[in-house]
Amino acid sequence: MAADSVLHGLDQVIHERRRLGIVSALAANDRQTFAELKVVLKTTDGNLSVHARRLEEAGYIKVTKGFADRKPRTEYRLTAKGRRALETYLEQMESILSATRDALERQ
Amino acid sequence: MPIPTQPAREQAEDTLAYIRETMESASTFTGVSGWGLVGAGGIGLIASWLAWAAATPALLRVWVPAALAAIAVAAVANVLKARRLEIPLWTGSLRKMAWGLAPALAAGAFLTQALTAQGTPDLLPGTWLALYGAGVTASGTFSVQAVRWMGLAMLALGSLALLRADLGLVLLAVGFGGCHVAFGLYIAQRHGG
Repeated sequence: MAADSVLHGLDQVIHERRRLGIVSALAANDRQTFAELKVVLKTTDGNLSVHARRLEEAGYIKVTKGFADRKPRTEYRLTAKGRRALETYLEQMESILSATRDALERQ
Repeated sequence: MPIPTQPAREQAEDTLAYIRETMESASTFTGVSGWGLVGAGGIGLIASWLAWAAATPALLRVWVPAALAAIAVAAVANVLKARRLEIPLWTGSLRKMAWGLAPALAAGAFLTQALTAQGTPDLLPGTWLALYGAGVTASGTFSVQAVRWMGLAMLALGSLALLRADLGLVLLAVGFGGCHVAFGLYIAQRHGG
């Protein structure tokens, strides 16, 4: 079976590496600011904005905009839908590995 | 599930590793200032010398102001490092670090009061080092690995100081002075100041 078909059923919203990074970082911390995520993911403002917006549109993260020390501050939180999506994605990754282990044991 | 191909398996392994690394990175406070620790160590060495000159290892009128000064120096250095590197300072990781350290420091303050009142100040150097070490080790879980090792070193020195109270002042100098300077220099070199 081709790799593509094994990976076919994956959630394409978080299968993308940067978006997976954002969701993973937010799963580890209740909330993260734009600046924090930029440091964790070692990415640019534009790249982070684009992927964060895609996740927001999917309802996976919640965005709060405000001010801190008179500077704009954007804060992100993972929604329940986003957490479920990450859990499902993790299960799918682990099932790929366990299917491989089972196949090797049968040989 | 059908047998996954090797590329699919490798991709799954790589993805899980990426998720794990990202989660660890998001939970780690990297803004600890090595130079702040060096400054705190310098204050520790001066305090050790003053206590030695007064022939009283756990001289509170030396060590309490020294502790406050060291905290202030470390805090200012952390703020400056965060500004220089343009990284956020008051993050979830730093809050967790504070919660890891605070109970040990509070316990240290209460034990200082109790041991002084009971006339056993010889146990203070070991108590301070051991509790500070325990707190730093706990808070270091949310920071760079060197912080954890520094905490463990302090904990070991504190344990020794509790067993050998006659070495209390030397171990205070090694711990609050030497350890802070050594680990501070290491962090400054490896983690951007």
